[in-house]
Amino acid sequence: MNTKRRGRTSAKTSKGTRKARAGAPARSYKANWTVAANAGRSVKNRVAALAGLTRAVCDDNETFQGMLSILRDKSTPIAVRLAALSSLQAATFSVIKFNACRPAYLAALRSVASDPDPELRQRVLGVLSREHDGYAQKLLLEGLQKPEKALVPPEKALQLLSYDIHAEAYPVAREIVRKPPNAAAKREALRLLAADAASAPVFEKILRDKSESAEIRQLSASALLSLAPAKLQAHARAMVLDKSESDELKSTSLTALTHFGEEKAVAQDNALQKTVGLLIGKAAASAILKRVAKSFLAKYRR
Amino acid sequence: MTTPSGHRALSEPQFCGLVDELNADPARRGALADLLREDNPIYDQHGGAVTVRMRGWVLLALSRAGLPNSALLFALEELDNGRDAYLVAVAARALRSYAQPSRAFAPLLMRAISNIHFHDDLFCLECYGGYSESAAGTTAVREVFAALLWLGAHAHAVLPEIDAISANKTEEFSDALAGEAGRLAEAIRRAAATQGHAQGHCCAGPADLGSFRAWAPGSTGNAESIDSILFEDQDRNRVDFGQFFRGQPSVVTFFYTRCNNPRKCSLTVAKLARLQQLLSERDLADRIRTAAITYDPAFDLPDRLRGYGQSRGLRMDAGHKMLRAIDGMSTLCAHFQLGVNFVESLVNRHRVEVYVLNAAGHIVASFERLQWDEREVLAQAVALLRDTR
Repeated sequence: MNTKRRGRTSAKTSKGTRKARAGAPARSYKANWTVAANAGRSVKNRVAALAGLTRAVCDDNETFQGMLSILRDKSTPIAVRLAALSSLQAATFSVIKFNACRPAYLAALRSVASDPDPELRQRVLGVLSREHDGYAQKLLLEGLQKPEKALVPPEKALQLLSYDIHAEAYPVAREIVRKPPNAAAKREALRLLAADAASAPVFEKILRDKSESAEIRQLSASALLSLAPAKLQAHARAMVLDKSESDELKSTSLTALTHFGEEKAVAQDNALQKTVGLLIGKAAASAILKRVAKSFLAKYRR
Repeated sequence: MTTPSGHRALSEPQFCGLVDELNADPARRGALADLLREDNPIYDQHGGAVTVRMRGWVLLALSRAGLPNSALLFALEELDNGRDAYLVAVAARALRSYAQPSRAFAPLLMRAISNIHFHDDLFCLECYGGYSESAAGTTAVREVFAALLWLGAHAHAVLPEIDAISANKTEEFSDALAGEAGRLAEAIRRAAATQGHAQGHCCAGPADLGSFRAWAPGSTGNAESIDSILFEDQDRNRVDFGQFFRGQPSVVTFFYTRCNNPRKCSLTVAKLARLQQLLSERDLADRIRTAAITYDPAFDLPDRLRGYGQSRGLRMDAGHKMLRAIDGMSTLCAHFQLGVNFVESLVNRHRVEVYVLNAAGHIVASFERLQWDEREVLAQAVALLRDTR
């Protein structure tokens, strides 16, 4: 899926927009709306005018409906549509004032969730997902199950689905971990599964798999801390004692034992304390590992 | 439990077909209400959004022929506790199809507005799922207004609240909606005047929900068969069902820490804490036990249970515990006939439910769906103490 920007002005982040905002003359909201709604004006001017409308979006129904029309209209330049979306999003922060506009706003977002423009649909699906919107969840799940229907890359779909633990995404996430389309998708699938108690065995396996990246293994340690802390403690101990384990993962393990270990058991573990003591004097050990080891011993050494 | 057609775990199109089939056949229409029970296997392994779509479609089907008594509580439950705007809209529409308006419905409709109006949405109630992409359609608040209009004079008691919406001093509602509230208030006043409300000539129906909600007689299921269910409490102590629930009466609620509806689990545990306070005030805390049992034992580990209870003021000690079943969860669900269903181990939908158990561990009363009153539950439990004297 092509998610590259096509050299246009994005209302959300581009330098062009910031410049336009900075350079926009102070106008009344009516004047801003006149410019924003005028298809004959330049994209830059319309974007700047829309940026100035944020606080007035819900002041009158004509402006609000006009903003929604711009957002929906596929013939409007995408930069202008994205600017309209940004203004609407910013207006939602005025929760009470925006409340009256909310139902129509959400309906408009759904109408552009499958828009041909990848940036617009990704942002819209993001907003709807944060609302736990069932329509957006359905589209995202369909895209993961049938990649030809995907509206966003799989890693983004997983990230958006993870906003709602009830989104029925665990089976598809497990399938992606088993057969990932790319490394980012695998990482996001694991992040999503970190709330799934049934996935603890998956995280145990990855944590101990030295062929996996350090990032993925650390993510697994974090997930286990939440799902099965006792199992993490057992693995962390074994990894500290494992001479062939990397310094990075040993540091992670020692940190977990220091801050989250069962204090009585760790304090009485002579073999563990002896090994950690040796790490401090080991010339080849990384500075981070030595620091973490000192912290561990400061807490547990008798 | 099986569905009327014996299906389990249907796809959504199959489910729609089943609902339409039942609705089209007057002889089988009564079975539609059974599809609203959370423990119906039809919801098994469906996510939260799918469950919402399915339940909405059943309520809409029921409303077409008139909401039957058997489904009334499901509609009232959504109004009382629902946080999903679509289901609240559907419940309000379904209520309008009930045979008899009642004063008791008005406070629930107003509560629905307060529950939902900060996350209302637009819906098409004619299509499955209800998702609207256009400005046309209805909203939950509009459907609730329509239900209040249907109540007419029976909504007289909530006129001050409707007037406040009409005045819209906080600008929470659109001008259009505030205008609708004003017209609604006028219509209710006219109806009340016509029917002689001021003289007490109208609206003689029940003023509270007493006639619609009742303490259901408890299951007299075989408590012995669940004695072996093993629990772990908030402090990692292990105790089986028989050890904790035999010897004294007890009050049991169900919850899970990841519930995202503040009107359900969070409030349930907070109310259990208030019930514990009432027990303490009456020196009964050592004679009546309390327990909050999680629906999600794989995730709700002891530390989570303790933190959740502490933050809601729950007393936790030998006679008052937060529990997770570490063995026998399915037996527990079956024994209490819990109103819950799951997608894998995660809850996809549950009702509010509280049980009173006698000293033999048998369920003697249960209170479901609508918000329960702590004093009412206390009275039920105290009655058991008198019975065992």
